[in-house]
Amino acid sequence: MTVTPARGRGELEREVLAAVAAAAGPVSANDVLSQLGGGLAYTTVMTTLARLESKGVLSRRLSGRAYVYALAGDPSELESSLAAHRMRRALESRPDRASVLARFVADLSPEDEQVLLSLLDRGQSSRRGGSGEGE
Amino acid sequence: MSVVTVVPVLVSAVLGLAASRLVRVLPPATAVRMLTAASLTAALSTGFVLGIVALVAAAQAPFVASLGRWSAQRFAGGGTTSALVGLACGLAMLTLLAAGVRRALRCAADLVAAEAACRRLGPGTHGLVVVEDSHPDAYALPGLAGRVVVSTAMLRALAADERRVLLAHEQAHLRHHHHVYIQLAELAAAANPILRPVATAVRVGTERWADEDAAAQTGDRPLVARTLARASLAKHQSPRSRPEALRAALPSVESAVVTRTRALLAPAPRPRRILAGATAALMLCALGAAAVSAHDTEHRFEVAQKMFHHSRSAPARVAEGS
Repeated sequence: MTVTPARGRGELEREVLAAVAAAAGPVSANDVLSQLGGGLAYTTVMTTLARLESKGVLSRRLSGRAYVYALAGDPSELESSLAAHRMRRALESRPDRASVLARFVADLSPEDEQVLLSLLDRGQSSRRGGSGEGE
Repeated sequence: MSVVTVVPVLVSAVLGLAASRLVRVLPPATAVRMLTAASLTAALSTGFVLGIVALVAAAQAPFVASLGRWSAQRFAGGGTTSALVGLACGLAMLTLLAAGVRRALRCAADLVAAEAACRRLGPGTHGLVVVEDSHPDAYALPGLAGRVVVSTAMLRALAADERRVLLAHEQAHLRHHHHVYIQLAELAAAANPILRPVATAVRVGTERWADEDAAAQTGDRPLVARTLARASLAKHQSPRSRPEALRAALPSVESAVVTRTRALLAPAPRPRRILAGATAALMLCALGAAAVSAHDTEHRFEVAQKMFHHSRSAPARVAEGS
């Protein structure tokens, strides 16, 4: 695996938040560390999780001897979820080619789906033998 | 009118034809910057030249000439423009100008709405807002600081290194102010519809730019390709995807995601000086044409005005004016 370049503090906090949000249940610092890897120190992940908790983005509780973290889901978070939903609806209400939203990926046609599946397949077979990704 | 007046239109047409190819071949950051600048220049000079043709036609009308105190005959001596052509050009210029203004107003309203949405979303975590949602989605929302909004379903569809790509991609949109290029190219396309393909190419180009940025950050192009494919498949398989709506909008065109994935599986585009230079030359042609026709017209006005005063001082020659 290639050595991933060092991350800035903002970048790290975003990645840790994304890792916690992606997990099915509450996760420990060790879980996050094993996911992110890339030469991160355990203490770095710990500190980042604690910082996110103190900002109110994550909630934590003791599980055995370690803290486990989950999305806080506090009222302000819920509010921003609703705001995001409303905003997306408002911005999408007119079929505007010049929308201000920069979407990561757009909707696909069935043909595109097939093409992408085959591209994904080819990519996967060529990278078999690399470090196993938790999928 | 002289040949110069058609140059901006020709430049626009060439840009429209070449735009999608330029985005494919040039490094996307270069392509987006050059195409945005070139399309703005082409749109402005097209409008400018149309305005000049209309002005010149109007100046030949004896009534206008007497108001402006210049010689209509002398003015027409530099090559006549039929009143019909002048009228058509004038109308075209006004229509395009109105379309441009309308587009600019709408763009301003959209950006204000986006900024308001950013405020409502709160600061997030260094600009990242995670939204609890079962539909996989991710987008960058422009604003003074901008936000990246990602749904939990999208995060769950990706592995850890793929999530990093997604975040790097969206962050790149905000860092490089991609919405500015997109809106400027849209403005140019509104003011000159021949440039429509350029605006589309700029939009695709900003996505490619963000992809290449994410690839540079992770040092792994195939990983970015895989992330794109995985994210769009996850979105496609969600019950809320709308492939029918897409087909109506883009019949039988390979969607941008596939193009982007292919580009990432190929080697990174090399800088191409000649191609970039040719685009810059096109832009200069449009500018030059506008400058030349402005200069010519100014000259004709000067001559016609001198003639007018001359004929005034020699009353025997007042043969014009009827």
